[in-house]
Amino acid sequence: MIYNIFHKTVFNYQSTVSFSHNIARLKPKESLSQKLLEFSMEFTPKEYESHEFIDSFGNENMHLLLREPHQSLCVVGKSKVEIFPEIIKEQINNLRAKSISFGNALERLSKFHADDLEAKQFLYESKLITRKSKLIKDYALESFAKERDIFEATNELMERIYTDFEFVSGFSDITTPVEKTFETRKGVCQDFAQFGISALRSIGLPAKYMSGYIETLPPQGEEKLFGADASHAWFSVYIPNAGWAEFDPTNNIIPHEQHILLGSGRDYHDISPLKGVVMSSGGSHLSVMVDVRREEEKVYMQAQTQSQNQY
Amino acid sequence: MSIFESYIVESSIDEVFDEKKNVRQYWNNIVEDIEKAGLDLLKEKQGDIDWHLEDNGVTFNIYDTHEKSAQRSWSMDPIPFVICEEEWSEIRKGLKQRAKLLNLILRDLYSEQKLIKENIIPAEVVYGHKGYAPEVFDFGFKENFNLYFYATDMARGPDGKMWVINDRTQAPSGLGYAIENRLTMNSIAKDLYPDIMTRKLYTFVEDFKKLLEELTDGDLSRAAILTPGPHNETYFEHAYLSSFLEIDLVQGDDLLSKNGSLWLKSLSGLKKINTLLRRVDDRYCDPLELNDESRLGVAGLVESMRQNNLSVINPIGSAVLENAGLNPFMEKICEYFLQEKLILPQIATWWCGQKKEMDFVIENLEKLIIKKIDRTESIQVYFGKKMSLPEREALKLLLLQSPHQYVAQQEVAFSTIPYYENGTIEPRNAVVRTFCLKKGEDYSVMNGGLVRVAAEKDSLIVSSQRGGTSKDLWILGGKEDDISMAHSFKYAQYVETSIDKISTPKAENLFWLGRYLARAITTTRLIMHVVKKITNFYRYEVGTSKESQVILQNALTHMTMTYPGFLDVSNDESLEIFPMREITSVIKDTSRGGSLAFTVLMLSNTNINLKDILAFESSKLFDKMQKEWNEFINRTNDSTLIVAGELDNFLIYLMAYKELVKESVFKEQGLIIYDVGYKIESALLLISKSRSMLCLKLDRFIGHDVLEGILNSQESFNAYRAFYRSSVNLENVVDFLIINPQFPKSLAYMTAELLKEFKLLPKAKEELTSYEKPIAQAQKLLESIQLVNLLKIEKNEGIYVKLDAMLLKLSDLYLECSSEFSNTYFSHYDE
Repeated sequence: MIYNIFHKTVFNYQSTVSFSHNIARLKPKESLSQKLLEFSMEFTPKEYESHEFIDSFGNENMHLLLREPHQSLCVVGKSKVEIFPEIIKEQINNLRAKSISFGNALERLSKFHADDLEAKQFLYESKLITRKSKLIKDYALESFAKERDIFEATNELMERIYTDFEFVSGFSDITTPVEKTFETRKGVCQDFAQFGISALRSIGLPAKYMSGYIETLPPQGEEKLFGADASHAWFSVYIPNAGWAEFDPTNNIIPHEQHILLGSGRDYHDISPLKGVVMSSGGSHLSVMVDVRREEEKVYMQAQTQSQNQY
Repeated sequence: MSIFESYIVESSIDEVFDEKKNVRQYWNNIVEDIEKAGLDLLKEKQGDIDWHLEDNGVTFNIYDTHEKSAQRSWSMDPIPFVICEEEWSEIRKGLKQRAKLLNLILRDLYSEQKLIKENIIPAEVVYGHKGYAPEVFDFGFKENFNLYFYATDMARGPDGKMWVINDRTQAPSGLGYAIENRLTMNSIAKDLYPDIMTRKLYTFVEDFKKLLEELTDGDLSRAAILTPGPHNETYFEHAYLSSFLEIDLVQGDDLLSKNGSLWLKSLSGLKKINTLLRRVDDRYCDPLELNDESRLGVAGLVESMRQNNLSVINPIGSAVLENAGLNPFMEKICEYFLQEKLILPQIATWWCGQKKEMDFVIENLEKLIIKKIDRTESIQVYFGKKMSLPEREALKLLLLQSPHQYVAQQEVAFSTIPYYENGTIEPRNAVVRTFCLKKGEDYSVMNGGLVRVAAEKDSLIVSSQRGGTSKDLWILGGKEDDISMAHSFKYAQYVETSIDKISTPKAENLFWLGRYLARAITTTRLIMHVVKKITNFYRYEVGTSKESQVILQNALTHMTMTYPGFLDVSNDESLEIFPMREITSVIKDTSRGGSLAFTVLMLSNTNINLKDILAFESSKLFDKMQKEWNEFINRTNDSTLIVAGELDNFLIYLMAYKELVKESVFKEQGLIIYDVGYKIESALLLISKSRSMLCLKLDRFIGHDVLEGILNSQESFNAYRAFYRSSVNLENVVDFLIINPQFPKSLAYMTAELLKEFKLLPKAKEELTSYEKPIAQAQKLLESIQLVNLLKIEKNEGIYVKLDAMLLKLSDLYLECSSEFSNTYFSHYDE
């Protein structure tokens, strides 16, 4: 399955900006199940210098310095990504098969185990997911009995978030605390993802923030408008003995073919697609446009050559 | 009678007296000296110490959430904390070992993390610690990623040994205070302790310079101290160290990053920096990659480290070592890295992240001290024995919720030491801070240190943040110190001696100081004139005509750009009847750009930013002025006469402040920049007034009134009369204020002066620079003026069109100069 992604971010400033440092994370992450076929990124005005580096969570970062005086900054990232659903399916089956009970997981995490070390980075407070709330912990525990399988329990947690919370855009922003999301039972994908992470961490399970895109489809019979998509976020839980398992509480699905991953971190702050420090007086206005589109025919051909499996 | 007779030691261990109340052998001579001196001489010497410290301006700002940080003077008592040579050599060994160890831990945690992977320390002690910085996760592979400078807090435990209490690694403070304490102590020691030999400190300062030279390839101008600024509690020390180490003291705003390096902005351009001794905490050093709310750092600092163009003392990420959670594992780590036993004892510490330890802690809560492993934010310490049962239960819940974040420590009774205060000597607890510096593969230990004394008797808490006082640390011996070297160790005031070196933000502040001060003075004068006219202050036989009053008021709106102001046609009537309403708003409304109150606010900001350049008196004067000004603008219902009186008073303050600025700032410190700002602003305001007041064709009486108005508002009426000895007429006033080359307040004079001053600036060239060009053009224009021509007027015209057009052109030229000047010196766009 091949997707073409167009991600445009525009900042309009009240006054002229003549010096700004930025970090862009617009390059989709490569993995067994996701291959990056093409990628380009363009800044307007053009950057004075740039430097790529990989951060501690394995994400590609691009550091850019802009020195041309400007009142608006436009960043366009274009990527062509191939997703291999059969590999993902295999991974999910594998995770299910190897998943262990919540009680056993806690027991194992409380001790030294070489395989769990990296995951422990995702167990603690992070910038945007700070306090461990008793209420959120209790909410999570409703799905996590000691003997319950983690994969199944997390799947249920995802379902409950999907059912209990209402998708309302414009209600929250990235600084909305998880407690508020919980209190109002409202938010958008990043709120649900961060809430899920908070819930999992509060009961002692490592959880990651996943940032990327999701393919959306127009109502039947209508053509999909260009730029009708948005950035997307979901979460991933660490199951000792099995690995990281992804869940999308906004759509109540386990990502398997329509999710394209940009990168992951402890919360949104670690993986925001674009951040910058601007020397300027006055505020700024941000607008984002995203388009995710499937290359239909090629998908079939790829699928046939890639795998004989049917599912 | 011994003066120590009343010194009753309650603690289990005392520095001076052993358990049999005998003076310890190595203290003998010092105790004898103190006995010989007696309380009277001690009192006198305490007075000397206080005077020295105050005279040198040694201060310590205490954070207070309610008030602005208050400066308090630093204090020290005349009795030193003494350590004998034999013990010190063991402590030194231990400090070097601990420094090496912490450096190895730092490098490992930010590279391979073998300590975690090989189960030497639990991952939670690192990942759960707020000081761990994943942003620099692989920087530990870099050669210049080291714990260069390390401070250890120590106290003597019940076994008579010095124990490690805390490690300070991210930006250790206290070195400057330790040096100042020693210099002050030297001044009294020759009288009080004539024969005591102590180890010297200068070799450590020399080592520090050597380290900086090594990191900067011998060019110390590539190193700087990064300070959070004058509000920081230890700012005194930052300035002090910058003098000793002979490197620049900078704030985040003084720096920018490009080409993967840090650059210091100065009037002559950008200068590359490759070494930063920072006094800003880890997360505040870079708003791009660390805490994005920080205004103390510089965006791109981490990137400069990443690209191997910057060494930081100490590297970002070192806060992870200020970690009580490491204590229980130090023995294991020491064995792992060095195959040695730990030399210095530590306080027994239990990390709650392990089940066995946690059970022990819960069981023994009332005997233990509980704290978080990190000290990044507010340090909450729980003393188990002082807590009530419900409090202990609440603490247990907290521990169970995030066990890995807590440690428990044994409560230890540390030693006491005699402390002199108000004529008595009493025992106090004290903490000794020692300093280590990386020297090749080894560490150099300062033969001395800073001793902080508990604020009260029986208090365990020693923290300068909460007040308290200090002592000098004496290491006995010192025969091996080369005294001939000691001369190199002196406090030399390090000033920016060249205009080229002035940092850009400072220069920009000077420029705006000039502009705002000129604006404040000119605005006050014009408002005063308008107000006095309203009250008919001048008491002419012919009352002020309404028409000239309107012209004056309109000029005020134009000059202050407080539109619509008096030009508001919809409000015509009420403005005419109650002009004071609008005038009061132009004076007092801080939220209105261009108002006098707004200008004063801006002036106040620049004044604060220039505190270290301006004379002490000028900030005192400014504070006084601002206090009276704030009282005035917050008052309502003042009569017009009182308003006039307050403005008069305020103007005198402004003029006095102006004189102090001119007197206290060196030319080399940028007085010229201030002057350029002052002249540009004065010129622009004069042009604005002239356009509103000189360009209208008026009948004789009204015209006379308005001309007097502009002369008065320029404080030029007397000068005019001395010059022309004639009645006031338009031709002469234009000549006087615009084209007269001799009158210092005329446009022509200011223009000529500006052109001279431009030649003294760092970026002056043979040919005209971009900011000189418009002023040279203005000068030509002014020289070419033929008054008769300029003042020709057609019958059907109401204004002097040519004069107005010329003034407009001059105004544009001055504005162009101002913006080109800013671009050239303050923006560093093209560098």
